[in-house]
Amino acid sequence: MDQRPATLSRRGFLTAAMGAAAVPLLAGCSSPVSAGLFGTRLSPETLVYWNLFGGGDGTRMEAMEDGYRKIYGANSLQATTFAWGNPYYTKVTLATVGNRPPDVAVAHLTRAKPLWDGGLLEAITEADLAAVGLSTSDFNPRPWQAQITDGKNIAVPLDTHPLVMFFNTDVCKKAGLLDGSGNLVPLDDMDTFEAALAAISKVTGGPAMTIANVGGETATPWRVFWTFYNQHKGASPFLSDNGSRLTVDEDIFMDVNDRLQKWVKQGWVNKALDYATAESYLFTGKAGLYLEGEWEITTAQSVKGFEFGIVPLPTLYDTPASQADSHTFILPRKNRTDEQRLQAMKFIKAMLDQSMTWAKGGHVPAYLPVAESAEYKALEPQSRYASAAEHAVYDDAAWYGGSGSTFEGIVGAQLGLIQQLASTPKQALSAIKTQLRVYLNTPSPL
Amino acid sequence: MTTTTLTVPRSGRSRLTAHPRAIRDTRSAWLFIAPFGIFYLAFLLGPTIYMFIMSFFNTSTVRTGLGSFAGFANYAEMLTRADFWSSLWHTLQFTIYTTPPLVIIAFVFAVLTNRMRHAQWFYRLAFFLPFILPSATISLIWVFIFTPSTGLWALAQEALGMTPGSGVLSSPNTAMIGIAIATLWWTLGFNYVLYLAGLQEIPRELYEAAAVDGATPWQQIWSVTVPMLSRTTTLVLLLQIIASLKIFDQVYLMTGGGPGISTQVSLQLITGTAFTDNRVGAASAASVLLFIVIIVIAVIRQVADRAAARKEF
Amino acid sequence: MTTVTARRRTASPVSSAAPSRRPHRPVDSRTFNIVAAIVLVVFAIIWLIPSLFALKTSLTDNGVAATGASEILKNWNLTLYSYSTLLGQNDIWNWYTASAITSVITAALTVLFASMAAFALSRLRFRGSNLVLLLIILGIMIPTQVLIVPIFQLLNWMNLLNTYWSVIFPQVPAVIAVFIFKQFFDGIPRELEEAARIDGASQWRIYWSVIMPLSRPVIAAVTILTFVGVWNNLLLPLFVLSNPDLMTIPVGLATVQGSFGQRYADIQAGAILAALPLVILYLIFQRQIVEGVTGSGLKG
Repeated sequence: MDQRPATLSRRGFLTAAMGAAAVPLLAGCSSPVSAGLFGTRLSPETLVYWNLFGGGDGTRMEAMEDGYRKIYGANSLQATTFAWGNPYYTKVTLATVGNRPPDVAVAHLTRAKPLWDGGLLEAITEADLAAVGLSTSDFNPRPWQAQITDGKNIAVPLDTHPLVMFFNTDVCKKAGLLDGSGNLVPLDDMDTFEAALAAISKVTGGPAMTIANVGGETATPWRVFWTFYNQHKGASPFLSDNGSRLTVDEDIFMDVNDRLQKWVKQGWVNKALDYATAESYLFTGKAGLYLEGEWEITTAQSVKGFEFGIVPLPTLYDTPASQADSHTFILPRKNRTDEQRLQAMKFIKAMLDQSMTWAKGGHVPAYLPVAESAEYKALEPQSRYASAAEHAVYDDAAWYGGSGSTFEGIVGAQLGLIQQLASTPKQALSAIKTQLRVYLNTPSPL
Repeated sequence: MTTTTLTVPRSGRSRLTAHPRAIRDTRSAWLFIAPFGIFYLAFLLGPTIYMFIMSFFNTSTVRTGLGSFAGFANYAEMLTRADFWSSLWHTLQFTIYTTPPLVIIAFVFAVLTNRMRHAQWFYRLAFFLPFILPSATISLIWVFIFTPSTGLWALAQEALGMTPGSGVLSSPNTAMIGIAIATLWWTLGFNYVLYLAGLQEIPRELYEAAAVDGATPWQQIWSVTVPMLSRTTTLVLLLQIIASLKIFDQVYLMTGGGPGISTQVSLQLITGTAFTDNRVGAASAASVLLFIVIIVIAVIRQVADRAAARKEF
Repeated sequence: MTTVTARRRTASPVSSAAPSRRPHRPVDSRTFNIVAAIVLVVFAIIWLIPSLFALKTSLTDNGVAATGASEILKNWNLTLYSYSTLLGQNDIWNWYTASAITSVITAALTVLFASMAAFALSRLRFRGSNLVLLLIILGIMIPTQVLIVPIFQLLNWMNLLNTYWSVIFPQVPAVIAVFIFKQFFDGIPRELEEAARIDGASQWRIYWSVIMPLSRPVIAAVTILTFVGVWNNLLLPLFVLSNPDLMTIPVGLATVQGSFGQRYADIQAGAILAALPLVILYLIFQRQIVEGVTGSGLKG
């Protein structure tokens, strides 16, 4: 084997190279290495925090994280952002199951409940709150009451984020829908609303209102549907008994979706647009109205020369309602010293104190000292739709439900197809029943 | 000669039991095997058995213990679940989309490369390099290429006079094709070098004999190359099929199983059931079913390989 | 006229040529070769395009990259901004560390344990050898990805989740490696160790001082194959590692959004950085890698 010398020197080179590279790596990253090899904790003074905020929300959250670091030191926080939805909650679950979860994590209120059911969260006691100067009365009662499960506080709400209606000032003015002060006239009546859609459509020459429904977007169709469904008096829950029974009112389901298809057929609502394009239609005047969560305010404000407003979705049926969820802070189950627990609470407090920054991103703060402050009340256009939070409707509790969940994915996909006119409401409901059958029939694994 | 399949224990070992050294050897042999054996039992055989066991229980990811006994309920659920069958179908669809091109095109490129007198290293580099890239890398590369309207793929479509649609990966009809294209680019190199190795084994004289008999290059390929490579082809084919059945990475990374669940493959259903739905027992039943399918094909492969090996001698 | 088996055809001037790569071919063949070359070059270039495009994008400004492929191709203001941003953050170094450590340790353990087991199967006669051989054959057929669920449970029970070991241990029993080593050992002539045996050397001594030094090519092949395999593995670390500091590169890239958002150049740069060590390894060890892949493919 005359190739041996060559091979040997190559191997020698490789070993030397790897050794040389390893030294600075090991020296510089001692924490992860020892954590990876020996399961030790990463530096004790660093709080580990996970969230799922990308885009505009992500930038704001980073600003708030920097605010925390200003108080507690540059190395006091390690924040990581994961992909929104199921991937995030899977990560949190698996990390907690493997006994190495983050110290604090963000969770949608509707996803916190299943995590609690699975024994993955620690309850937040009155003592915990008092230790950082918080109490129940500091929070908006709606999300606060919503998070109490089994008589315990399982999550500290940061905000409520309802579905809202954006409007393009220019287009709506041309459609004659603005009052003297540039606000949208009330449209809380089906006929008035449809007349408005017709008027806007005339101005744009295309759709009047855009709703994102393709490109993987299943959340928005669900939110729109859930809003209008719950505006009907006596609307029953979609799921009952933690997701083991399907109790949706089929007549109301048909009513809402037939109406949506009517709007699409009239050309008032888009047939198929993805998230980004649906939004850009509003920005460029191709549509006058846009239904989405209030968090898109940051994107809207960044478009040069674009004037817009935001209002709650008009009450087209019996009672006002807006689909919403709340972002909350949770404490995953882990072995904590009292000090670590206090540090986690301090982090939560520091975030709540910066609720104003968060509110500028469109969310309605749950922390009353900020929500009731003059500064927030003066914030435009936030003040125009803050009332939507008072009529927030959360998703039904289910072990496979909540924001970004399998339930939302299945139902949202069918609703998207209805909007695309690719499926009739009847077919879609049938498909929903079929696809949910397994989940309905399976007892909760939590 | 490079390939045989298994080295069957040589005859003459039947003498071993009487041999005193055999007994001493037994002890040291087991010591040599022990380290590997421990890992084999713990992380290969053990989990396989555990998987079978868990499939009969309602094991939960977040609770300790096996959970309540479920009998065949998990299997019944999986076998009657529309998305189980659709995930199996998508896995099969992926296999069908990728296997023929990966075999045929690799063969063609290898044959052509073999005829080149210069710069073979260039072709080898071009075709084989993608194979060593991580799935995360190739997925990010191709997702970017497939960006709707403005991506490189759309640009190429426009250059060829076609109107780009809403994006290859955004439509249920074309998403799997997009994944197949990326996979073809990524893994062609493997089959390509296998064929190259096989080609270099074919004695030159066979071609010369055919050439002297008046065969054109086409006919030479057809009458010499293809038959001589049949063993490699069978191997490549079966390896390809087995690898396709285990597909996960690029589907998860490029479409996440979407749009909707139109590209969700079996392994994704399994991991989704286990780690998102938190139902390890049900996921184990699905795993067992997939496992059986793969084992059947793997057995076919071993048998085919042995038959071919025997034929050669 | 014999065909296949004929090796001496003195009538033809061709066969008397030395085993070089320049036989005299009829004209048809030349045209064919030219066409073949053209086809091959075209496709080779096509095959290089995605990587080159990713590279170009990574060297482009993020804003330009967001506008689309045609802009990227037209704009030639190259910038290392994406790379400097990514390399300036801790994330990617942590991920490199995790990938390097897990790949190296797994490769080392695999080479050691698999070669030991192969040595026993190749050189030692012992009771139960048939059983072991059977288990080896079975082991090759077991699709390890499908075992992700029970392996997760097992690692949890062992309290190893979220450590490097959770990535290393399940990848150590690479049955194909045993196979490759055994094939190779079987081919080593026994005379080479006879002298040592006669001198009374222990089995370990024979393994370590005689057999292994003769096995450098296959050690190199298995090392590299294992290294690449572990580096590129996504499924296992995706579910057993949740701490972003401990993630291997593929997992880090796939799950941590950071504020990547629409920073397409950064994303492509990240993809390239993930592959860079492997590409370098490939360029150095081309032959071993290809031979290793071929060998394992043909045997496994």
